[in-house]
Amino acid sequence: MIEFKNVTFAYSSTNADGKSIEQGSISGIDLTIQNGEFVVLTGGSGCGKTTVTRLINGLIPHYYNGTLNGKVLIEGNSVPDTPIFETAKKVGSVFQNPRSQFFNVNTTDEIAFAAENQCCEPAEISKAITVTAASMHIEKLFDRNIFELSGGEKQIIACAGINVLSPDIIVLDEPSSNLDSEAIEKLKAVLTDWKSQGKTIIIAEHRLYFLRELADRMLILENGRIAKELTANEIKKLTADDTEKMGIRPMMLPEIHCSHQDTDIQGDVLLLEDFRFTYKDGKHGINIPRLELPASHIIAIIGHNGAGKSTLARNICGLECRCKGTLTMNGKKLKAKDRLHNCYMIMQDVNHQLFTESVRDEVILSMTDKSLTDKQKAQKADEILTQLDLAEYADTHPMALSGGQKQRTAIASGIASSKPVIIFDEPTSGLDLAHMKQVSDQLKKLKDMGKTVIVVTHDNEFILSCCDHVVRLENGCAAENCSLGK
Amino acid sequence: MELGLSSTSDKGILKLDPRTKLCLLIAISIIMVGGKTVGVEYVLRVICAAIPFVLLLTVRHVKSALIYIIILGISVFCEGSVIPNISGAPNLILMIICGIISRFVPGYMMGWYTVRSTSVSEFMTAMDKMHIPYFITIPFSVMFRYFPTLGEEYRSIHDAMKMREIGQSVKNPFTYIEYVLVPIMMSTVRIADELSAASLTKGLSAGGRRTHICQINIRLYDWLLMFGALAMIVLFFVF
Repeated sequence: MIEFKNVTFAYSSTNADGKSIEQGSISGIDLTIQNGEFVVLTGGSGCGKTTVTRLINGLIPHYYNGTLNGKVLIEGNSVPDTPIFETAKKVGSVFQNPRSQFFNVNTTDEIAFAAENQCCEPAEISKAITVTAASMHIEKLFDRNIFELSGGEKQIIACAGINVLSPDIIVLDEPSSNLDSEAIEKLKAVLTDWKSQGKTIIIAEHRLYFLRELADRMLILENGRIAKELTANEIKKLTADDTEKMGIRPMMLPEIHCSHQDTDIQGDVLLLEDFRFTYKDGKHGINIPRLELPASHIIAIIGHNGAGKSTLARNICGLECRCKGTLTMNGKKLKAKDRLHNCYMIMQDVNHQLFTESVRDEVILSMTDKSLTDKQKAQKADEILTQLDLAEYADTHPMALSGGQKQRTAIASGIASSKPVIIFDEPTSGLDLAHMKQVSDQLKKLKDMGKTVIVVTHDNEFILSCCDHVVRLENGCAAENCSLGK
Repeated sequence: MELGLSSTSDKGILKLDPRTKLCLLIAISIIMVGGKTVGVEYVLRVICAAIPFVLLLTVRHVKSALIYIIILGISVFCEGSVIPNISGAPNLILMIICGIISRFVPGYMMGWYTVRSTSVSEFMTAMDKMHIPYFITIPFSVMFRYFPTLGEEYRSIHDAMKMREIGQSVKNPFTYIEYVLVPIMMSTVRIADELSAASLTKGLSAGGRRTHICQINIRLYDWLLMFGALAMIVLFFVF
């Protein structure tokens, strides 16, 4: 049994001026979780759901500093007073970012890692690994380089590591945010298995559809308090309207219906020809002899992990010099090198593309038009920042911004570069409903400016909120290319 | 090419213990760098030069083994037949180049073999069996995990610079370094932070000795090779 008794926690951090401040996260939480219960925590970004998971696995207060009041108990033992390696025997954790939760390079070593740390007998660990492999069907992932696995495979490895040590409680912090629908199905199978073994599961999530049948209880958090508590029956009855009102993502995966295939595209066309590209492993790549896309529309590129979505985006952008394909736009044939001057990509991790010391400089850096004076550039930058609600942050360091603000800064630089094609790579991974809508509004704004927007995504809810056209890739080939039926 | 230790376990014919590899590495380095080209030491040098070649073949790195033996062959041939017949500056330059190759390349290739044929877990297990404390081995294992991460981050940042058409036009190298380093540092700090949190929840801070599922054993041929390495060092210092 896990008990929270009037728990309040505030993170201590430093603000932009270097002064230490307290950031409230949760306040006055009372919660009892019975053994074997499956609890879903949800709510907008910053609502405190991650904090609850950290209190259970002991990272608060043992790793993250702050002021903690109240009691957190597991089977009557206080978590803050237990050393974290003791808690680790009872509580397994899966995190949001598959890239940063691995200590090893080899998959088998990683699966054994937690058990090795607890000094289990090597023979027993090996036996547990064999059992796990059989129950999760992951033999083919053994003895591989973790850096070569997809995000979904990495999350499955993280789950396998937990299975080997087999703790009674498992906390998951947004495990699905980087996964496609196929990988989410696999994650769901693992969760179902754990539930049938009687494990206590606490999962913090934005995407809820895969938890509909599993959840025994759902807590909606708001500003660090439990705003609403739903039972299993209530969860199953939730309609799309209900979830919309509560500000959470829907409980059903919306389907994407294509209108009749191969209808003629009205207006200007972007014509892709001979997009063929293979990675050095010789397995993955794309092979698209001809593809027509409508200009000045929002085009979604969908498909499973490894289908070539990101590869296509990189090739359209001109980042792969080996690609011989051409993009015809406004009567001009563009080779890879020319495409670099016409396309702008907002990467999944926007931290990689912010280079300067202030948001305004960031925008100015993109203005390559030499006829403009510095003053004109600054003026134009401020105009763009106002359009994207960033005017008040013009002098802030980009790294001090929130995730959404960083993304908007990158969009602002894209607009400033006056390139006609803007590509987004997974812009909504890990976003709550409100932020997802914000992103879709940004995309619509770009479309109104006459830009062609291409989005690589596996977020169906997001596609339905803003995209006009869908391209589905399968094994590197365009399997479907159609406008989106409303 | 990948940096750091091998990511998957050894698939070679001859599976040596990491400690044997270290012994051989030390012996080869000492003898090749310090040895003379006459008498007993000449014989020792030939043996030492051949060891990395054979070992690379056992882990099926045929291409690098052949390149190694060809380069070494050319420089030995030059030392023996070409250098005595020329004089002046070319003689000096050739002598320096060949000297460096024949003295350092065998040790380098032995090091490369050690790195490519040892997995991280074998390394950790071997260090643990030699009773090297955790405050040395854990930073090492994190380092091996970090090389590929740095590579991934650098590639993304390089792409972003290419797309924003910066980097090519930046004439000042310091600005270039700043544009690469600042984002790399920001993201590696974040990754390191998340990684530490994840390792703690997996019980890395637990006291006591960790166990290892990785099996390494010193077998008969390990003993023979270690004895051979020791014998060579003794012979080398006696003569």
